[in-house]
Amino acid sequence: MISTPHDVKEYRGHLKKALKNTFLGTTLDNFATSYRASRAKAFEGMDLEGLIQEIAQGKDASIPYLEELFTLFKARAEAAGAKIHVARTATEANEIIASIAKDNGVRKIVKGKSMTAEETFLNTHLEKEGYQVTETDLGEWIIQLRGEGPSHMVMPAIHLSRQQVAELFTKITGAPQDPDDINGMVKVARRELRQAFLEADMGITGANFAIAETGTIGLVTNEGNGRLVTTLPRVHVALVGFDKLIPDLQSALRVLKALPRNATGQAISTYVTWITGANDCAPGPDGRKEMHIVFLDNGRLALARDPVFSQALRCVRCGACANVCPIYKLVGGHNYGHVYIGAIGLILTYFYHGRENARAIVKNCLNCQACKSVCAAGIDLPHLIKEVYRTVLEVEGKKPVKNILLNRALKDRRLFHFLLRRAYLAQKPLAGGGDLIRHLPFFLSREHGFRSLPVVAKTPLRDQWERINPRLPNPRYRVALFGGCVVDFVYPEQALALVKLAREFNVQLEYPMEQTCCGLPAKMMGESETAREVAIQNLKAVDPTEYDYILTLCASCGSHLKENYPRLLAGDPGLQVKVDQLRDKIMDFSSFMQNVLKVSSEKFDGHYRKIAYHSPCHLCRGLNVTQEPRELLKTAGLDYLPAKDEDVCCGFGGSFSVEFPEISAELLKRKLDNVEATGAEVLVTDCPGCVLQLRGGMDKRGAKKIQVKHIAEVVADSLKK
Amino acid sequence: MEKHEQITLFKEKAEAVQTSVIEIGELQQAFLYAIEVTKKQGGSTIAAPGLAQKDSDALSAFRALCEENGVTLVTENLRSQIGKLHTGFTVADHAVAETATLVQDSSSEDVRIATMLSEIHVAVLPASRIKADAMSLENELKEAMKAPPSYVAFISGASRTADIERVLTIGVHGPQELHVLILDENVD
Repeated sequence: MISTPHDVKEYRGHLKKALKNTFLGTTLDNFATSYRASRAKAFEGMDLEGLIQEIAQGKDASIPYLEELFTLFKARAEAAGAKIHVARTATEANEIIASIAKDNGVRKIVKGKSMTAEETFLNTHLEKEGYQVTETDLGEWIIQLRGEGPSHMVMPAIHLSRQQVAELFTKITGAPQDPDDINGMVKVARRELRQAFLEADMGITGANFAIAETGTIGLVTNEGNGRLVTTLPRVHVALVGFDKLIPDLQSALRVLKALPRNATGQAISTYVTWITGANDCAPGPDGRKEMHIVFLDNGRLALARDPVFSQALRCVRCGACANVCPIYKLVGGHNYGHVYIGAIGLILTYFYHGRENARAIVKNCLNCQACKSVCAAGIDLPHLIKEVYRTVLEVEGKKPVKNILLNRALKDRRLFHFLLRRAYLAQKPLAGGGDLIRHLPFFLSREHGFRSLPVVAKTPLRDQWERINPRLPNPRYRVALFGGCVVDFVYPEQALALVKLAREFNVQLEYPMEQTCCGLPAKMMGESETAREVAIQNLKAVDPTEYDYILTLCASCGSHLKENYPRLLAGDPGLQVKVDQLRDKIMDFSSFMQNVLKVSSEKFDGHYRKIAYHSPCHLCRGLNVTQEPRELLKTAGLDYLPAKDEDVCCGFGGSFSVEFPEISAELLKRKLDNVEATGAEVLVTDCPGCVLQLRGGMDKRGAKKIQVKHIAEVVADSLKK
Repeated sequence: MEKHEQITLFKEKAEAVQTSVIEIGELQQAFLYAIEVTKKQGGSTIAAPGLAQKDSDALSAFRALCEENGVTLVTENLRSQIGKLHTGFTVADHAVAETATLVQDSSSEDVRIATMLSEIHVAVLPASRIKADAMSLENELKEAMKAPPSYVAFISGASRTADIERVLTIGVHGPQELHVLILDENVD
């Protein structure tokens, strides 16, 4: 039976244990690497973005009409001899299926893999009613024998080693199994399960599609067990979520084009089966199959009406959101979801398996956007995860103290900036005279010691601005700098570098003084009201019409302004226009240098030698900027050395790294290992949050230390004297 | 796309999923191929359901060849023969080049058993039936679905799994090999 921790403390205990599982860590890391390559190859030459958009639009068009689609499906399928049932709840679905079994004198049941049946804990119910149930998908069979839940939606036993499977099969067959003979173990399953197929009276499957116009269900499988489950036994029951209803074959074929490619990097799964009605079946009544289709609601129809969360019903269950998740990669599916795992699992758990099960896991998201960037249905998974978190906080009415403090501080810019200035004094005894804190402050426990924390600057950027920023007589552009808290109060030198470059390329910079925190930390902590208030403050402080561009040195601020402001201020008369203008003018540093100023390499002489690059989540996925920083490094005459997993999160995630320090530390370690492997002398990135994490981690490393800098700094340093 | 381009693409994609493909000029060659591969692998029975409906003369010819070669040919009541079938022999209804997919109307239980429970599957694919992608087969597929009951199978390669340590292993539940014989009767 699956059990998921209900509080973060217990959950962190599970995570720590999982992090020690080196087999899991290696397997999932190898998988993530090979998945990226095979996915890219599978979609080669296709308009992937276009396809994802078509799937999303298609799903969005049918989600409001699931009940109508159901009525049509029912009419068609019944005309074809199938019997249709509706289950409002998981329990009802299990009872309906048990009673079909009873009515047909069933004793033995074989099953094809179905996440929906996992959702309702169907096996447990049927076994309690006295039926013998055998899972026939190899991975599902293995975990059934071990009494576990799936750890991946497509590869349910990915967490197990060949040795563990060999041990299990030795027990099952009574004959010793060679762990290195995987082919031999697969043949054990073939033999053992063949018998189960032949003896079964009833077969249960899920369905990937329920096509309304013809009353057809579609099944996508690789092993062929789904075909046997739907062929040999005299009764077939398909358990199908309402969300699988789709208007027509064309819509199904469109999803099919993406599903296997996105799931496993296969052009198509080996078997795709389209079943309409009660087919030929020798042992069935009158030589026909006894065919039942049970549609499961379990909250789906209400979800379909939700203006924010209905998107979750677009999910086609490809599992890609887990494949690319840096946290999933470290701790596996048993620690990253309840029944449904991965990013979509964090969301669906709340709706299908309740708040208690969702409470702790839903916090475990870096907002790195990796899942969103590969979702076959274009679901904004990180956004929905934060919305679930917010909902849980609201429903429970127990806000953590840090949320209350954050709300207080952020809503009042003067207070907030006063507190940041005070931090300079407060940290003095902890700092060792350098720019990093040498002793952890009392409120952080030992687990937070994986990185050194920076010292808050003596003079924040805003207090130096008028002194350092020259007025230019005839500037090419007038540009506002949106500093962000970290540049303003921790790393003003990054802005100084920008000032130097602006002067060189004749750009007049401005620093609107009323600007405050972008509000992303509030959103991350589920405080959308506060996020909204600071968004309004910033819009008042920075009027986009006054500038040619609005630059940011912080990718996180940039992507929050660009993507979340329109959402936070949707429908606000007057502000809407300003939000749109802001969105059109926001730009990251590298894009501004490369695409707007088109700086020439003649101006630079490459001050450093070997440079590694870390691609911030909110730059490469949030703002979709990937080429410009790398090109800019070359323009500046720097020798750029590519590293493994450049675009995988460094583990910062703002408050995430405080909530889950073990995860943050492990991600940081892997990141720095990859950087070190390049032989670089300097690590460059374009987000001060990443600089904080990477520099702090590098400081804790014993061996040779690599300098960590903002890209603006290395480019400014590379200007010819 | 020209016919030969479709064939080339089909062959290229088939290779990626371990499907063996050869081109033949007449059905007779397919019979001989199936008999030869069955015998070579130590099998003795070929299941060829559905052939009678498609081409009864061809079936007689096949039967005669099987007899000559000491191979048993069965065409119906296959449920009672499960465990004995070495080769499932079918003529595919359509195919998709970009994924090397065969489309097999499997509404008959015998076709399903032959293609699922034989050790290997040998399928004849008339060259004219290859389309570029699945979308191009929408009308044909819809027709089958609109005349229920129906069971339409897309088959792209042999049964496979990667459920143990992600090691690709062929032949977990279904046939362990898929042979596609592209029949182009107008080849000169």
